[in-house]
Amino acid sequence: MISVKIYGVARLKAKVGSFTTNVKSMDELLGILPGISRKEAKDLVALVNGKPAKRNVQFHDGDEVVFLAPAGGG
Amino acid sequence: MSTELGGYMGKVIKINLNTQEVSEYPFTDQERKLFIGGKTMAAKILNDHFKGNEKPFSDENLLVITTGPLTGSGAPSSSRFNISTLSPQTGYITSSNCGGNFGYYLKKAGLDALILQGHCEKPSWIEIQNDHVVFHDARDLWGLKTSQTQQALDEKLKMKNGRVRKNGKICIGPAGENKVLYSCIVSNERVSGRGGTGAIMGYMNVKAVVASGNSTVKVVEKEKMVRHTQKWFKYLRNHPLTGNQLPKLGTAGLVSGMQMKNILSTKNYQYGQYDDFEKISGELLAEKYNIVNKGCLTCPIKCARTVEVDGKHVKGPELETLVLLGSGILNNDLESILKWNYELDELGMDTISCANTISYAMEANEKGLWDNGLVFSDQKAVSEIFEKIAYRQGIGDELALGSKRLSEKYGGKEFAIHAKGMELAAYEPRKSVGLGLGYAVSNRGGCHLNGGYLVILEGLGLSINPTTYHGKADLTMLFQDLMEMISATGQCLFTSYAFFPSPLMNHPNSWYTKACNKILPYCGGVVRMINKFPEIAFFHLPVFHHTKAFEYVTGMKMTFGHYIRCGERGYNLEREVNRKFGVDANKDALPKRLVETLQDPNDPNSKVPLEKMKKIYYKARGWDEKGIPTKKTLKKLKIGSDLID
Repeated sequence: MISVKIYGVARLKAKVGSFTTNVKSMDELLGILPGISRKEAKDLVALVNGKPAKRNVQFHDGDEVVFLAPAGGG
Repeated sequence: MSTELGGYMGKVIKINLNTQEVSEYPFTDQERKLFIGGKTMAAKILNDHFKGNEKPFSDENLLVITTGPLTGSGAPSSSRFNISTLSPQTGYITSSNCGGNFGYYLKKAGLDALILQGHCEKPSWIEIQNDHVVFHDARDLWGLKTSQTQQALDEKLKMKNGRVRKNGKICIGPAGENKVLYSCIVSNERVSGRGGTGAIMGYMNVKAVVASGNSTVKVVEKEKMVRHTQKWFKYLRNHPLTGNQLPKLGTAGLVSGMQMKNILSTKNYQYGQYDDFEKISGELLAEKYNIVNKGCLTCPIKCARTVEVDGKHVKGPELETLVLLGSGILNNDLESILKWNYELDELGMDTISCANTISYAMEANEKGLWDNGLVFSDQKAVSEIFEKIAYRQGIGDELALGSKRLSEKYGGKEFAIHAKGMELAAYEPRKSVGLGLGYAVSNRGGCHLNGGYLVILEGLGLSINPTTYHGKADLTMLFQDLMEMISATGQCLFTSYAFFPSPLMNHPNSWYTKACNKILPYCGGVVRMINKFPEIAFFHLPVFHHTKAFEYVTGMKMTFGHYIRCGERGYNLEREVNRKFGVDANKDALPKRLVETLQDPNDPNSKVPLEKMKKIYYKARGWDEKGIPTKKTLKKLKIGSDLID
């Protein structure tokens, strides 16, 4: 089981901030994000346990995956 | 003194508050071409006036309120105006770029700028209608909060038919009246927040200034400007930052990203992450509290939030307020921040400096240096403190002085988080060291925007290495100069995000964005060449609409390179003012916590390598090793009255 959190404008699109799932890889996860197509998901910044993650990463039980989009403000 | 140029009204007036005498201040077209408007025009006026021995609270200080040539031109996000003065916080120049509608109406009144000097004998408000100035007694307004003041003024401006004459206002609240060093000036719900401009207006005994009139801004190439503006609006609406993130989440949307990048200042900048960050996030604000988005005149971005406080619809908090009154003091209650944000605007106080002063006081209390009753995560004590500060009561009288002065009295200079006496913004710079350099060298003190806002490259927009010093000095200079000029023209700095092509933001995992992230820090030499010889960019950039708009409005030739050069002139001019008041390399400093203590004990690079970057920065700027602009640099930039013609 991994936990998934979505932040930024992607969260407004997903209409959900967090969920848990049993998927085993990032590639698999990119296809099941609520309200977000695989194509859109590929353009999110992904972190696993706080570190930048690649698309081919395999998950371990208890991992925390975070998605966010680039942002600016001030 | 009229003008041949478009975009300008051709008139600047100076009001002697002691005598109520109004005179036209000479500002020539040659000066307009060099010093443009906004903060740079103000810096020119202040540089010509100051000798270096003036005090902020004295009749020798000036409050200079300027517009830019694009203010009121219809260009996107161009209702801005600027307020510059000698800051009571720093003792150096401060400038504050503000939304609201005062700039638009100052130009309707036929003025490019307004200079106030001296002080009124009794509390007054000043009415400017079609460049005619009238002084009014403001004793009935003195003591009112900022929204009450503006409502009361509207009552006074009612015409015979019962309608309020269209007008723009600036005013101060009780904090400005009582000279809280970080008090601000308010226009509608927008705030000229930083540097203590409100305290100067308070010293002057001026409660408010109201402008109205029926002048219009001349646009030289009107049809081209209309077509260009349409394209520009469309571009901003389609850009991922100005068309998506900022409208949907506001600046508050950065909280989560800052947490992930370890730059969310927490517990008085001790840490870069806060366990409860989700409870103060922009997402929660948008989902649970935001009622409607608001924007300034002609702004397609609409970054402001509207929330409900005590049954009223009021402006919601910006990122800075959320973080510094949230994680900064370990407060995870978003509703309290909404309320405090409103209260601070009503009292007329800068939320950044106020929050940082409180977090300094909490740490000083925790360390046993100052028994002041303020404790991290104790909301109740904070709820009671704002009015005490604004009215200078009890402990509030001391907190009104800001963290620098308090640390000089009670100790703890290493954790008084300011630069040149002005408290830092919400980004913890040990994991964004380029921004750390920006904070230190910024002309107005600890400001992220005047500092070049490199955090947008170091983790928020792009993801270049945030802890390397490579390339940071040259990039800082480039972005400082770019934003300096955007501000001088009368536009909002958020339009600068268009400088980053959409594909870089939309596709952070693409090969070209990754390549950009890797290469950019090592492009210092290339950036240095652009900084040194901006004329090589003798063209318009397709992503940067500002230069063409400037040409269409004013009729002046403007390329991207020339645009950067004008920004450089403005930046150096403010530095030159500061030099007169003693600013040098020693004043370009950060507290020890940020330059000596590692944010992450396992990461030896998690501190700001300030001295290393400063050396490169000074060289890039054409300043000597003491941080003073050389004569050659000033001559190149035509700074100095003998060099203008």
